[in-house]
Amino acid sequence: MSNEKILTASGITKSFGSLIAVNHVDLEIYEEEIVGLIGPNGAGKTTLFNLINGLETPDQGEVTFKGIDITAMSPHKICQLGMARSFQVTRSFTQMSVEEAIKVGAYNRKNEKEVQEKVEWVINFFGLEEIRDCKCSDLGLASLRKVEVARATATEPNLLLLDEVAAGLTSAELLKLMSELRRLNKEAKIALCVVEHVMQMVMSLCERIFVLDAGELIAQGVPEEISNNQRVIEAYLGRGSYGKTSSAD
Amino acid sequence: MEQKKNNQVTKSLLWLLLLIIAVIIPWILGSNQYSVLLVTTVLLYGVMATLWNIIGGLAGQLDLGSFAYLGLGAFTSGTLLIRYNFTPWMGMILGGLVAAGFALLIGIPLFRFRIREVWYALTTCALVEILKVVFTMWEKVGGPVERYLPHYGSLYHMRFSSYIPYYYLMLGLLLIALGVNYRINKTRLGYYLKALGEDEIAAEVLGIDTRSCKLKALVCYSFLIGVTGGIYANMYGYIHPSFFDGQESIKVAILGIVGGRGITYGPLLAALLLVGIQEFLRASIGGDVSGLYLVIYSVILIVVVLFRPKGIATIFQDVYQRVFSRRGVEKKNVQ
Repeated sequence: MSNEKILTASGITKSFGSLIAVNHVDLEIYEEEIVGLIGPNGAGKTTLFNLINGLETPDQGEVTFKGIDITAMSPHKICQLGMARSFQVTRSFTQMSVEEAIKVGAYNRKNEKEVQEKVEWVINFFGLEEIRDCKCSDLGLASLRKVEVARATATEPNLLLLDEVAAGLTSAELLKLMSELRRLNKEAKIALCVVEHVMQMVMSLCERIFVLDAGELIAQGVPEEISNNQRVIEAYLGRGSYGKTSSAD
Repeated sequence: MEQKKNNQVTKSLLWLLLLIIAVIIPWILGSNQYSVLLVTTVLLYGVMATLWNIIGGLAGQLDLGSFAYLGLGAFTSGTLLIRYNFTPWMGMILGGLVAAGFALLIGIPLFRFRIREVWYALTTCALVEILKVVFTMWEKVGGPVERYLPHYGSLYHMRFSSYIPYYYLMLGLLLIALGVNYRINKTRLGYYLKALGEDEIAAEVLGIDTRSCKLKALVCYSFLIGVTGGIYANMYGYIHPSFFDGQESIKVAILGIVGGRGITYGPLLAALLLVGIQEFLRASIGGDVSGLYLVIYSVILIVVVLFRPKGIATIFQDVYQRVFSRRGVEKKNVQ
């Protein structure tokens, strides 16, 4: 890997009461790559995202982003450093138009004069011209997710965390989304980290994959390695006749 | 493009027309001081509801403490005038600063500990009542008896023998309040406030320092309400702890909500209609059947909330779109 590390998480642990949601997880993401993060329901993927982008603070371990310790930093500062995310359950600004929602993101790095130019670029990039004046409350799920990714992209991140953006999309919508994400990665040089249940997407999009199960990182590697990894098959796909998560899928 | 320009011209003309009407109203009412006081009261609520829109409408914080800041402004300006013969023209600015300073003192811990929604509402509501008690007990400044401002009838003391100058002062404040609202709406702070008003977590991860944005909104709002308080004291000619009025604070929030949260002219519209109707009813039938005006007022309120939960300003928005913008009509048809 010729690129520099952009994000390093080392030994991060988070528990809620007696439940250990994330247990000593190490992971690193390099500039301009696409990594996947998979695991059965309740494996701690979203918690891991929250720990990385500052919505939660880890009990142990540390997170560095672009060489800066961001472990206890607040989310808006982390975003200003260059990390953005989308949410599994969409958090849209229902009263705003699509254009306004994107503008909120664009203000992160642009002043009053430049902001509109950035908004136009993002709308154009994601092909949102037709719905730019629509209220977010009137949009369907596919559009909402796209607006959320667009909004996050408008903050000009170097790393974008996407939490199940493909959930609930039709296969046509999925293909379109995947090509947009690839373009985002190549043209805007944004590293992507996707949490996903849709295997088709993870396997064809990601260069490397991390597998999380019950809060622990059980495997990492290129897609072929992962799909042949015995532990992953047991834990995630639930084909093994033994083990506690055999009925996970 | 040209249509857009035309729309803007019509819009400006409409505002100009309203302004002219507002300017000549006291000349029409001229001889009847009571009526001038009534329209000034309507304007006062217009100013307060418009300012409330910054914290309550844009930033989505259900603030029920507007009369806390009004009272602080009134007491600062009034006390300075009574004790030190200090001109209210400066006093009201100081009143604004005291109110804003106090708001900071309250706002920093509130937002630090993420007090939101109903808890924020309850806290601000309590604030008004606490200040009322404090000023009733604090004999040096307040106390249970009204403290009258010196009545010299001079410009220096901002004490006039007619209500007309106060009307124009209030109109000036209203223009400032509308201007501030309009300005915030169009800039980064406005977008940030609207975003965090809808979803604070989504706002945070888009790089918005929600705490400092809310503080900015709170300071802006409390400062201008404090300034209004200075004029308020002079208009009534006395200061009294009853200025810290919880019920009226709630009324301001109601006007803001009924008018249309986040819409610049919404709260003003609600104030003009609702307070206007209320004062008119009180003046006309209040003497015959006491309390009836409140019943009618409440019925109007319920009807508005039932049929226009997003605010009466949306009625005007719809009409405006239908009349002036062809694009709006087409979109409606598609839907």
